[in-house]
Amino acid sequence: MNDYVLGQPQPPRMSLGARFAAFGLVVAIVVGLLTTRIFYLQVVQGGYYAGLAEENRQQTQPIRSARGLIYDRAGRPLAINIPSYVVRIRPADLPFGQRDAVVERLSSLLHVPATDIIESLDRYASLRFELVRIASDVPSDVARIIVEESRSLPGVEVDVEERRQYEYGALVSHVLGYTGAVTAEDLLELEEIGYLNDDQIGKTGVEATFEEELRGAYGSEQVERDSGGRVVRTVQILDDPQPGTSLELTLDIEVQQEAEEALRWATEVVDLQRGVVIVMNPQTGEILALVSLPNYDNNLFARGISNTDYQALVEDPNRPLVNFALSEQYPPGSTYKLVTAVGALEDGLVNPSTVLETGPFLEIGTYKYWEWNRRGFGPLDISGGFAHSSDTFFYQLAGGLGIDRLAHWATEFGFGQRTGVDLPAEARGIVPTNEWKQSVFGQDVFPGEVYQAGIGQGYDAATPLQVLNSFNALANGGSLLKPQIVRRVLAPDGSVVRSFQPELIRQLGVSPDTLRTMRLAAHEVVTSGHTYNLNDLPLVVAGKTGTAEFGLRDSQGRLPFHSWFAAFVPQFGPDQPGDPAQTDSELAIVAFAYDSNTKGNAATEIVKYFLQDHYDLGVDLTRPDLLQRGNFYGGH
Amino acid sequence: MTAMRVERAPGSTAVSRPESGSWQSFDVPLAFFAIALAVIGLLMAWTNSTGGPLDPGSTFTRGLMWFAIAIVAFSVAAAFDYRWLRTFAWAIYLVSIGLLIMTLIIGVTINGAQRWVSVGGITFQFSELSKVAMIAVLAAFLARRQDNLGSVWTLVGAGLLIAPAFVLVMIQPDLGTALVFVSILIGALFISGASLRWMALAAAAVIASLPVGWSLLREYQQQRILSFLDPASDPQGAGFQVIQSQIAIGSGGLFGRGLTNGSQTGADFLPVQSTDFAFAVLLEELGFIGGLVVFLLFVGLIWRILVIGWRSESVFGVAFAGGLAAMVIFQMLVNAGMVAGMMPVTGIPLPFITHGGGSLVSIAIGLGVMQSISIRRARPGW
Repeated sequence: MNDYVLGQPQPPRMSLGARFAAFGLVVAIVVGLLTTRIFYLQVVQGGYYAGLAEENRQQTQPIRSARGLIYDRAGRPLAINIPSYVVRIRPADLPFGQRDAVVERLSSLLHVPATDIIESLDRYASLRFELVRIASDVPSDVARIIVEESRSLPGVEVDVEERRQYEYGALVSHVLGYTGAVTAEDLLELEEIGYLNDDQIGKTGVEATFEEELRGAYGSEQVERDSGGRVVRTVQILDDPQPGTSLELTLDIEVQQEAEEALRWATEVVDLQRGVVIVMNPQTGEILALVSLPNYDNNLFARGISNTDYQALVEDPNRPLVNFALSEQYPPGSTYKLVTAVGALEDGLVNPSTVLETGPFLEIGTYKYWEWNRRGFGPLDISGGFAHSSDTFFYQLAGGLGIDRLAHWATEFGFGQRTGVDLPAEARGIVPTNEWKQSVFGQDVFPGEVYQAGIGQGYDAATPLQVLNSFNALANGGSLLKPQIVRRVLAPDGSVVRSFQPELIRQLGVSPDTLRTMRLAAHEVVTSGHTYNLNDLPLVVAGKTGTAEFGLRDSQGRLPFHSWFAAFVPQFGPDQPGDPAQTDSELAIVAFAYDSNTKGNAATEIVKYFLQDHYDLGVDLTRPDLLQRGNFYGGH
Repeated sequence: MTAMRVERAPGSTAVSRPESGSWQSFDVPLAFFAIALAVIGLLMAWTNSTGGPLDPGSTFTRGLMWFAIAIVAFSVAAAFDYRWLRTFAWAIYLVSIGLLIMTLIIGVTINGAQRWVSVGGITFQFSELSKVAMIAVLAAFLARRQDNLGSVWTLVGAGLLIAPAFVLVMIQPDLGTALVFVSILIGALFISGASLRWMALAAAAVIASLPVGWSLLREYQQQRILSFLDPASDPQGAGFQVIQSQIAIGSGGLFGRGLTNGSQTGADFLPVQSTDFAFAVLLEELGFIGGLVVFLLFVGLIWRILVIGWRSESVFGVAFAGGLAAMVIFQMLVNAGMVAGMMPVTGIPLPFITHGGGSLVSIAIGLGVMQSISIRRARPGW
């Protein structure tokens, strides 16, 4: 029964042969179908697919250009490029199962929190073949370990890349700014002009304003890639990259150091939280030094700042990332009396010999507008009023001018408008007018507010750079110049591509005599004893102090205040003292001490410290008796 | 009754040929086709070895190792008297079901399916071995029912026999391998003489019940099947592979780019080139001619399998040949079809060409059994 008897001419046996034949037919059909399909793909459509394969394999990719360098006016390098290791991950090459292990290992090698790495990876979740930057500026020994462990770190790539190094770090961070990775939002616009996903861009400072010059032009090359996007070889270079041009700043790093030292000294002596010193050449508008404290180390950004460091900078109440020299506006205080005085003289309200009475206060209705010393100075001409910084004197001038004439002269001196300096985020300042007050508050300026506007209080607001620039115009005889931060643009071979010339914003509509009068008055500020501590310098200095009240009164009814001092130094020689009547000054300086909380004017002390250091006047800067005599501790 | 030879089951007293068989009946063409295909497979392993092909652990060295194991498996299977398989059928059946269950328990999940078992760093698919085991079990079952082959119960019994393995691989989930089991079932039943009427009816019933079965599936299961049928919807990028595969094939042209010169595959454009898309590499590098040679070798192989089955004059031999040939042709259709963009992307290997120890050893055992059948055949010559 178990035996299978074959060969009988019975239907099943016949059917078996047919079944074998049918089976063979199925095989023939399947193979025929596959052969036809492959013949179609390979022979009929072969050329088309061969083209696609070439395209697939060869791609054009950009070649990055070397970023231009930044020098000071003496050719000292401030920003250079150094090679650094970056670690990136191509998510497509990192199997999900190994992700945690790889992230953990990288986290411990790079000292980057694992959550940061995962966050970076997830941010580009849709672009699995694009490299994601995990760490920049990786130490070479760590980079070597990662390369050695590449077998157990799939998808992790180590590349050498140029990064910025800022030779002086925080000292010039507010001028240089820093470069950083382009953000996804920026890229929407920047992509069409050649920016890459993983590109660097100047974020602030001249790195940002001169981005185009510094960046140069990226080239392009045809490369052969594998599916992972790795470049197998370069086929040809289509366009050579054009290296960026370099910048020679107007800044003199030595002057910058002196200015910072002076300001820093003050911050330590009187616990100043914020301050600004700007030094310029009034003849050209060149900025020789620009210090805003607190500052920050821009190398942190160049290395790829950690979240912790960045949060610390952002959350610092003194806002070290803000350039207070031009990004914030403050009441200019008595430094603004220059505007009021010039206006009164030019509009014929007074002449240099007109004498006005000054008393303890001026009254409008029942409200008293006090002299700053609450006593008054008796009869004063305009030089005396300026020298003593008499508020009641200037209330009278402001009242006589009216708000709109006052605004006219303020505008003439560059207030209420950006200077146009090639640095980002410049504030405009405020010059109040009836029109302005109507648009903001819906009413006209009150008479008392006109008084305040005349002494740089109330609605008046200006940046330290604007204040200094108004004194530049005074010092040089009436040319309001655009402050310059870049002197020359240099090609990689050192040749000059572009040279910045002094740029006139406007010639002040002020007679030379008026300006001469005010220069002499500014000198009298120093010689009259109002700013007596500068008087002992073997140097002719002219300038104006300012004490600008702001905020809320303390328990004793006193307002906190900022200290200002804007000054210029007429040219002098070994045997020839400077003459403030001349327009030959080549150095002007402004010091601004935010919330200075000192008995006297801290800003004058800062300027004095700077001048002694800068002109090498042979004075021991730290001598206690100098300090004791200073405005920090005494004076009225 | 015309006098024809009668073959008996082992233990039977009426034996027409010596139990040991004759090695003169060794089917040389079968071995030739198989070895030719295996050598082409090794060439592909060479070309697909990223880095040095001779490095330890490269695709090529692993291919060589599996080649050697496959030769041994083939020889042992050929030397072994296939008639014993009928005795061991149940043991083989239980062991292979056991391995499939073990895969589910200790298996490694790769690309979302739990198909691999990792032993000493080498991953292995037991489902590959279970294919050839199922062919043997099915052939033994049909041999036992040789007097009632046309009965509907033969169909039902064979279906129930395959069902556990089918369900176990579906759970992995591996719809492709499950369909290989179905193709084996159909091939073996059809060629050994099962009732065509009942087979057609069963097929109609299965098709008719598909909508009902579909509605019984949970949504994620439906999704899984949909993504199997429509790779473009697969977020894992199966659609990308298909397009890259077509580009690779198309750029091969008539004569190919030459071994190791594949632009697509050489540059790693096919992510799973060394496994399921190895045939795409072959078509790119060896061209249409190379593909045709492979197809012809397969046709030759299937021809020898069917011839040996025919000559065996035993239901076991016929059914085994039918199951094995159906498996080979089905896998060819699905794998080459997938590579050429005609079939959905599945993990079904092309025997010999796709690198993978399980597939090679499985087919080697199957062909070894065919040789054993040939050596111990009833009908001489042909």
